[in-house]
Amino acid sequence: MALIEVRNLVKKFDDKAVLKGINIDLHQGNSKVLMGTSGCGKSTLLRCLNLLIQPTSGQIIFKGEDITRPGVDVRKVREDIGFVFQHFALYRHLTVEENVTLGLRKIKKMKSKEAVEKASHELNRVGMFEHRNKYPAQLSGGQKQRAAIVRALAMDPAVLFLDEPTSALDPQMSREVVTVINKLFLDNITMFCVTHDAFLAKYISDSIVFMDDGVIVAEDIAERLFYESVDPRIKQFFLSVIDHR
Amino acid sequence: MDPFINDLVAYWPQILTGLQRTLMLMVIISVSGIAGGVCVFYLKLVKNKTLRKWTEAYISFFIGTPLLVHLFLMYYGLPQLGIRLSAFTVAVIGFTLNVSAYNARYLTTAYNGLDKSELEAAHAQGFTHFETFHLIILPQVMRLSVPSLTNQVIQNLKDTSVAFLIQYHDFFAQMQEIAATNFHFFKAYMTATLVYLTLVSVVVLVARRMERSIALPGFET
Repeated sequence: MALIEVRNLVKKFDDKAVLKGINIDLHQGNSKVLMGTSGCGKSTLLRCLNLLIQPTSGQIIFKGEDITRPGVDVRKVREDIGFVFQHFALYRHLTVEENVTLGLRKIKKMKSKEAVEKASHELNRVGMFEHRNKYPAQLSGGQKQRAAIVRALAMDPAVLFLDEPTSALDPQMSREVVTVINKLFLDNITMFCVTHDAFLAKYISDSIVFMDDGVIVAEDIAERLFYESVDPRIKQFFLSVIDHR
Repeated sequence: MDPFINDLVAYWPQILTGLQRTLMLMVIISVSGIAGGVCVFYLKLVKNKTLRKWTEAYISFFIGTPLLVHLFLMYYGLPQLGIRLSAFTVAVIGFTLNVSAYNARYLTTAYNGLDKSELEAAHAQGFTHFETFHLIILPQVMRLSVPSLTNQVIQNLKDTSVAFLIQYHDFFAQMQEIAATNFHFFKAYMTATLVYLTLVSVVVLVARRMERSIALPGFET
């Protein structure tokens, strides 16, 4: 059974359908990257999957439970889904360590000492321990994104969602973050990542899902999708993003 | 000795009581005004649209109408409806309603400058609306609003002087009495001015110290 099963997912904003019947599965230990042109519905899909956006119709089965049904415990669902944002979204009044421990203390109900130990362990994993007492304003973009990844991972989520994790970074900082996410990929962390970054996609994915105009057009491993696809939309897209790099 | 100084010495106990009343009113309305402002600000962020509209109407009403009118309405108007409140109660309620509206406006302005992705991140982490408010939003908007809130405290101190118009015997009321009794208008009001200036200076010093103590990187205001 898949960790996440999406069936005929539709999302409309007023009359405009952004997702037009999405079907996709994500298995435990699997990493999928979602690519496609801007406005094709990638980020909307990601936000629907953890109910930040309420889908119009369709089903999302997460760990065997339909989370689109009324009365679902949204907090419990979100607790189990780590989310990393394009612009980091660190709480800027808190230090790196406090950013990581806040959820552990308030949501996981961990004692402060235990939360700090957990945070220190996770920060060490991505080389951020020495920056634990800094505030977001004192960090570089790459450091902010690594801290944001740690904040999500520390909650021990069943799956990690990443929404364009490198697109707000310059190439050097982007490499820094790709290295960290690649490490997670090699550790078999279940991930679902939205990106335009072909380099990131290649190094962190078991398969790449290509979306266009609210529908999934193809799903395949990176090399085949990048270089062998005959679909003109896919060819055009990868030609531009790969050439761009 | 100058007859005015003689008057000051003679009226010293009343002046001191008046000063205590002024400071007590200022402290009470500053604390209740901040607490009220936070509550009104919270209501501005709730999901219920109707409640948000009523909250905005409250803010607009109290910012858009004079404080003195509210005080007169409660002190001189309500008795005609059979409701009698002491001058102190009217001052506390009237000022609190007014100051809460202003403070809510300052907090809302600070909120508008927040990075909303932090709020999305908080919801994505599983925080409820209220947890997001008190753990993420409030600590940030309070920091960003410190200059406006401390200016409001200074304003509160100065505004307490209008309470003498509803028979609240504060410091200014005592000085007014000295002035009217022996016609030392210039000296009495000059003394009152200097005392207010001294008190405001103390508030400013405390406020700046507080601003420095809660300053964080990225929160330069």
